[in-house]
Amino acid sequence: MAAIKPPGIPIERGKIHEFANSILDDNPMYHDTDAAKAAGLPGVVAPPTYLSVAAHFTSEEEMFSHLAKLNLDLRFVLHGGQEYEFERPICAGETLTPEMGEVKSYQKEGKRGGVMQFYEIPTLFKDQNGKVVVRATSTIIQTGGVVKE
Amino acid sequence: MSTVDWKSLKEGEEFKFEVNGFTRTHFVKYAGAGGDFNPIHHDETFARMAGLESVFGMGMLTAGVLSRVPAEWFGPASVKKYTVSFRSRLWPDDNVTFSGKIVKLYEEQGVPHAELEISAVNQKGETLIRGSSVVRPWNPS
Repeated sequence: MAAIKPPGIPIERGKIHEFANSILDDNPMYHDTDAAKAAGLPGVVAPPTYLSVAAHFTSEEEMFSHLAKLNLDLRFVLHGGQEYEFERPICAGETLTPEMGEVKSYQKEGKRGGVMQFYEIPTLFKDQNGKVVVRATSTIIQTGGVVKE
Repeated sequence: MSTVDWKSLKEGEEFKFEVNGFTRTHFVKYAGAGGDFNPIHHDETFARMAGLESVFGMGMLTAGVLSRVPAEWFGPASVKKYTVSFRSRLWPDDNVTFSGKIVKLYEEQGVPHAELEISAVNQKGETLIRGSSVVRPWNPS
């Protein structure tokens, strides 16, 4: 597939509306620009987990080359956790630029899947002024095999 | 706009809602909106080949629905930190209770903050997500 990567991540009203619907949230701050402006914000607010849409704006090549560096076996990879820390609300109309930080890794003995290798992948999102507005951390777990519940 | 009286908050206060009957359509809608096209979440044939009974929901879908706890309670602009760890899978037909509880109230540079414990638990009592969130009033300057 062609790798199309627009510069930065545009925070858009329509995408926020669609995303908020998909997480079953009808909060007017996500859907109604007037409501957001009445609260003193420049546009509708992005829900806390909205930046997971960053995947839309990252080419497959880039994503896989990043994962390739970690030498993961994609059959046995779990999303262990996710964290977002906001300096301020993210609103429609701005563009954020992600910057991947250094990956931390450590091992734990798993109860169900043998030795588990943890990777913490930090990403900083900067606004148009170069200010860090969101710090995100994804935790990816490489298990020794299929994890049964 | 949520109208929280930050001065009258108490530790132990709770917020809770339920979503009954998750469907494959929820997973597919989230795939489109969130960009997670791992076939294990939408392709039944693929999921069975991977040894699973059916497709299952993305952790970030459950995490997204759970974010309604701090966002609806305190207002989306008030969410300062949102942290989740994934424990069990979300399956079609699951009924899930999403809840949060204030575990700590404190001030930072004169601004009131609340720390919440949050969780998503299915009809069998299994924890899908355990997490925390920090909220504070957001006053645009």
